[in-house]
Amino acid sequence: MKWASVLGIAAVLGLMTLYEWPKMKGNMKKEKITFAAVTLAGGILAVWLVFYPGTPGPTQLFDFLYKPLVHYIENLTAERGG
Amino acid sequence: MIEKGKISASQMGKMMYLAITPTAILTTPAITYQFAKQDLWISPIWAFSGLIAVYAALRLHARFPGRNLVQMCECIVGRLPGKLLGGLFLLFNMYLNGIIIREYSEFVIGAFLLQTPLTVVSGSMVLASAMAVRSGVEIVGRFAELFLPAFITLFLLIIFPIIPDLHLSNMLPIMGEGMMPSLMGAFVLQAWFSELITASFFLPFVADQKKVTKSILIVLLMIVLTLIVSNLATLLLLGNVTGSYTYPFLILARYINLFEFFTHLEAIFMAIWVLGAFVKICVFFYVAVLGAAQWLKLSDYRPIVFPFGFLLTLISMWVAPNLQKLNDAISKSVSFAVLTMFVAVPVLLLCLAWGKRRLWGIAAKK
Repeated sequence: MKWASVLGIAAVLGLMTLYEWPKMKGNMKKEKITFAAVTLAGGILAVWLVFYPGTPGPTQLFDFLYKPLVHYIENLTAERGG
Repeated sequence: MIEKGKISASQMGKMMYLAITPTAILTTPAITYQFAKQDLWISPIWAFSGLIAVYAALRLHARFPGRNLVQMCECIVGRLPGKLLGGLFLLFNMYLNGIIIREYSEFVIGAFLLQTPLTVVSGSMVLASAMAVRSGVEIVGRFAELFLPAFITLFLLIIFPIIPDLHLSNMLPIMGEGMMPSLMGAFVLQAWFSELITASFFLPFVADQKKVTKSILIVLLMIVLTLIVSNLATLLLLGNVTGSYTYPFLILARYINLFEFFTHLEAIFMAIWVLGAFVKICVFFYVAVLGAAQWLKLSDYRPIVFPFGFLLTLISMWVAPNLQKLNDAISKSVSFAVLTMFVAVPVLLLCLAWGKRRLWGIAAKK
């Protein structure tokens, strides 16, 4: 099942490249590099998330950064009886 | 300039309206109710962060005409820190869009398409938005113009039939515990109002600059009004149980029963929601793609639309393992993060720009 997802991801990324790549002309080097980099990053992240779905993401980062403020709000809510 | 399209001030206003209201109607009443109880309907009035964000976006644009927030960063704080701040802003924008897409797909799956996998719902929405975004700002603006009348008509179509069933006693006592509960309930709404800062990315494309201030203030007022009406209707119909539903407004749509003939009108709500969420996702998607293209000094933003769409779908899977965790994050840490990035950072930039001009002005006179 997981390998099927990987195949699906590869298919989507392949179709994207097939559609977009011929539209970029020879002198659009920067665009090509960006396109390849973002697509590659997306592919790696997608495959990673297929195998390790619980990987801490940006939400956990914000939870960590705003812990004291969130704690303060939670106390206020508790006082009002949830 | 990458984007050659022009939009009118009213189109920008409509885009901003649809970029905020749909998700605000859907998720906020349940979260706001936890704090505000029967003062639920007063909370939208405290739209401070919306006013601040609008003021910051307009003043910054007056100071740097033709530039958006990401481009301004470089002018204000210097090249390298500006790039860094602009990049952070763009990443955060994409994260927020991931949350929006997730909210949309969770709602569609939770309420209607029970058997469909999450990826299919979010993926098809992102694909549709990507096509609109590829066509440029004019198309997104026209979509907003096209969908807004439908949005408002359908919204009223849900409100009017339930008027006879509303119990005014549910809103009593008004401000029974003073202003505090409604103010605290407004906290989560601030995250939505501060999304008005995305106007900064559309201001440079507006053809009739003189009408911008008026149109954006009218939009802020309209958003507040819509939220008051929807919260009031929810409260008056559901009363004490408002907080126990995930989507209280959906219950309203399900409740409608006209002459034993018009029933199950939640399909209308679904239509509202899909139209609104489409424009909302498009607006944030466009901001991310355009900002990234300008940030990297590309000649065109079109080639990176699809890769970014793929990333957005991924982020929407990544933000939370399930709906409960998602709503919990939205009502707490994500709201703080939104306030930091969309209100505190622009205000800080505005202060810096103002201070810099004062200092340089004095130096030039001497």
